[in-house]
Amino acid sequence: MLSLVIALFSGAVGGLVVAMIPETKNRLRNYIVLLFAASSAFFTWHTALKVFAGERVRVAGELGGLAFSIDPDPLGAVFGLIASTLWLFTAVYSFGYMAGKHKQRTFFTFFLMSLTMTLGVAFSGNLVALYLFYELLTFATYPLVIHERSAEAMKAGTKYILYSLSGAGAILIAIIFTYAWSGKLDFSSGPMLANSLGPGLNWLLMLFIGGFGVKAAIMPLHRWLPAAMAAPTPVSALLHAVAVVYSGVYGILRTVYSVFGHELIGQLEIRYILPWTAAITIVAGIVIAARQDVLKRRLAYQTVSHLSYILLGAFTLNAWGLAGAIFHMISYSTLKITLFFCAGIISEQTGVIKVSKIGGIGRLLPKTMAAFSIATMGMIGMLPLNTFWGKYYLMKGSVEAGKWPLAVVLIISGILNAICFVPAIVNAFNRVSTKTCEEKGSRVSLMLAPTLALVMIALFIGLMPGIIWPGVEAVVNWFY
Amino acid sequence: MISAISTNLPVFIIIAPLFVAFVLPTLAKRKRLVENLVLSVEVLMLLGICYLASIVLFRKDIPIIYQMGGWPAPWGIELKVGSLGTFFLLTIAIVSLPVALFARGNLTHEVGGKERIARFYVLYLLLVGALAGMALTNDLFNVYVLVEVATLSCCGLVSARNHPRAAKATFTYLILATLGSCLVMGGIGFIYIITGHLNMEFASRELSIIWQNNPRVVWMAFSFMLVGFGVKSALFPLHVWLPDAHSVAPSPASAILSGLAVKGYIICLLKVLYNVFGQTLMQAYSVHKILVLVGMVAIIAGSISALTQKELKRRLAFSTVAQVGYIFLGFGLLNTRGLAGALFYLASHAVIKSTLFLSAAAMQTATGKKEIKDLSGIGRKMPITAAAFTVSSLGLTGIPLFSGFVGKWNLLQGSMESGSILPISVIIAGSVLCGAYLFPVIRIAYFETAPEKDWKDPNLPQKLALILLSAVIVVLGVVPGPFLELANRAAAELLVLR
Repeated sequence: MLSLVIALFSGAVGGLVVAMIPETKNRLRNYIVLLFAASSAFFTWHTALKVFAGERVRVAGELGGLAFSIDPDPLGAVFGLIASTLWLFTAVYSFGYMAGKHKQRTFFTFFLMSLTMTLGVAFSGNLVALYLFYELLTFATYPLVIHERSAEAMKAGTKYILYSLSGAGAILIAIIFTYAWSGKLDFSSGPMLANSLGPGLNWLLMLFIGGFGVKAAIMPLHRWLPAAMAAPTPVSALLHAVAVVYSGVYGILRTVYSVFGHELIGQLEIRYILPWTAAITIVAGIVIAARQDVLKRRLAYQTVSHLSYILLGAFTLNAWGLAGAIFHMISYSTLKITLFFCAGIISEQTGVIKVSKIGGIGRLLPKTMAAFSIATMGMIGMLPLNTFWGKYYLMKGSVEAGKWPLAVVLIISGILNAICFVPAIVNAFNRVSTKTCEEKGSRVSLMLAPTLALVMIALFIGLMPGIIWPGVEAVVNWFY
Repeated sequence: MISAISTNLPVFIIIAPLFVAFVLPTLAKRKRLVENLVLSVEVLMLLGICYLASIVLFRKDIPIIYQMGGWPAPWGIELKVGSLGTFFLLTIAIVSLPVALFARGNLTHEVGGKERIARFYVLYLLLVGALAGMALTNDLFNVYVLVEVATLSCCGLVSARNHPRAAKATFTYLILATLGSCLVMGGIGFIYIITGHLNMEFASRELSIIWQNNPRVVWMAFSFMLVGFGVKSALFPLHVWLPDAHSVAPSPASAILSGLAVKGYIICLLKVLYNVFGQTLMQAYSVHKILVLVGMVAIIAGSISALTQKELKRRLAFSTVAQVGYIFLGFGLLNTRGLAGALFYLASHAVIKSTLFLSAAAMQTATGKKEIKDLSGIGRKMPITAAAFTVSSLGLTGIPLFSGFVGKWNLLQGSMESGSILPISVIIAGSVLCGAYLFPVIRIAYFETAPEKDWKDPNLPQKLALILLSAVIVVLGVVPGPFLELANRAAAELLVLR
């Protein structure tokens, strides 16, 4: 229980401590950020392993007259592990990326604050806690989105807040209805609405998915995400490819498995539509991505597409689909962060932000581009990478659900991913660039080290998928 | 002596501020003494009210009926110390004490010399006394008298600043408020004509027997009351006086006007609707539907008008129009959850709106600027003021952890129980709009670079007031316990079928 509390609040406390440190003391600040991020990661692992072993770790109380509980189950533990571990890598990357940039104190304060909010979403034990942290996450990440303070960033920030608040509003309505119909808010006691059946349930599910779908960037609710690329690269990498968008995806997984239950959804008419909304987003996202010239925007649309892989897995409503979703959630996050990290290194070292200008970069920044290429292979779903396994189980789930066209969609999406990035990579290694720059110096190594480490981890998981299987299995067994 | 005080406590709570108000002009030259006197009256009121609240919460034989001069009703005048009364008294005490504290640090700047300050405090205490009376009274004619006292002191407070705009705003307010008083008077008259009683209990009993004989008169009484109190509590579209009046008044005055005075009239209307007419009549005349409807219109229209304002204080004033809509909406739901939610929201808005107005005033005083766009970077230079503003904005938007959420949650539950989806969506839309008009202020305050100017947090009493109020917002949001309990009980008592 103590470890849960420490894991959860390390970020918030760290944020407060960082806020006290003067702007000029960068070194000290970095050490403190690292300390708190590491403590959060360590205690999250500690808690998660206990949860996987079947132990119940729970903190409950009352908030504003409502029951409030922090009670991670295996799904929450997996999300918590992804977030807190990647936070540590991103922290190191940020030390390099942010060096010499303005307003570092603000950046790291909210960087740590967001960690607490994300873990809060992950560990929430009932809808009240989930809603609270989901809402707070919006506010904690807003300063990061507008960090550049340019007109573009300000506009992106406003868009982000309005989209998120509207989504949260929809969720609040949905929670009210759930509570009125079932009288329950807790995740632990099985699906809340399990015994209710009525025509309103279709609408309620749509309300939930519409609300969480804002952060999960389901089309057409995705517009804020490409705009939010105005943020510094570590933020785009961690929050807009993993933490924030995953909180939306996580919310939908919760809705499907803890609020409704897969058995109930299996009886609703809406089950015919759901996988196809995900499929449309998968294809449309990557097609739009291919038309973007700015690298970060291209990656953002790819995120839109890949998030729906996870949703597709959830919407197939069978165990293989869920296993695929969880697998993809873990493996996609490592690789997507890598891609963004590389984009950040490229733009910092050479000033290139467009795909059309990428020619020759591979010669200047060989390690970065190598990492980028490997990660792209992962996005396509090729074998030595971890994402292959996720995709494999997703297809298996689709076929099991009797919807083989979904498996075809996944294959097509893999090809589209290749069309989207492979020519650029070939270009990067073939041509000779007119620019001069080096892949040396402490700043670059701070950025490069986490990037390469993540690629290694992805390869390692790809070669030995068994090591994350117990976690996936725990989640699947929990719900099936 | 002690027992004499404790048995007569209800009347002391009303009389104390009124009495001190009449003493103040004789001490006008001694500014410190005046200020200390006002603060000590406020503190004594708070203590007394807490004592009453503890009795109401823990004793069974409530409501306590206090007969003025020992005359029993229907001949004498009654004060009724029930859950509703104590609930509103607590709200009054919690808000008016910090506002008085703020005024102590601020008035010289906004109002002027010693004489004017003393006059300000006279009006302030008269208003507080009248509001306390509204909370406790059980007599229709008393309601009218107290409404008049409150209205006139409000007008005085609005004009306390020596400024042509203030005179104009006061005049508009005076005309409309008097119109409202006339309508209220008319409504009371209609009730008296057909029942022959002014005591709420007796009038209600009589009304429930004879209303079918005089359906039109009852209808007139209903509409006079609704419009009369609607004007006074700035119910959209009767709110036209409010933005001017609340934005030109000196800041402590605008805080108490927007936070408490408006609420006093709402409490009066609530008493008239539920304690005099009663639930059955409301249903018979579909008044509850009207309430929900006007509430929803007010929420949307008020929020949208607030969005279009460029001056901070005017934006806050329009936001009051919107928030009053939530309270009216809750009154029309006719279930305990919804009514309790509306009451809690009333209290929460009283605290939040005062904080907003006070912090806005502190920013305005420091910068000399009225418009929102001129406040760039103020968050760094005036950390406490900006923090108070942020906390109260989050509260008003209805983020969990802050008091507004508890009210909204109960309101939503109430709407759910009443079975209509429209109010739910309007409440949520109102919250999103509220975010849309308050967050730009926060963004500008924290995330834009400040000009090279010497802006500082206000002096100690003002800072203390802001901190106290913000703390109340958070405490009510996290542990609303006894406060919510009082609201629940008050709602249950109001909804008892007679």
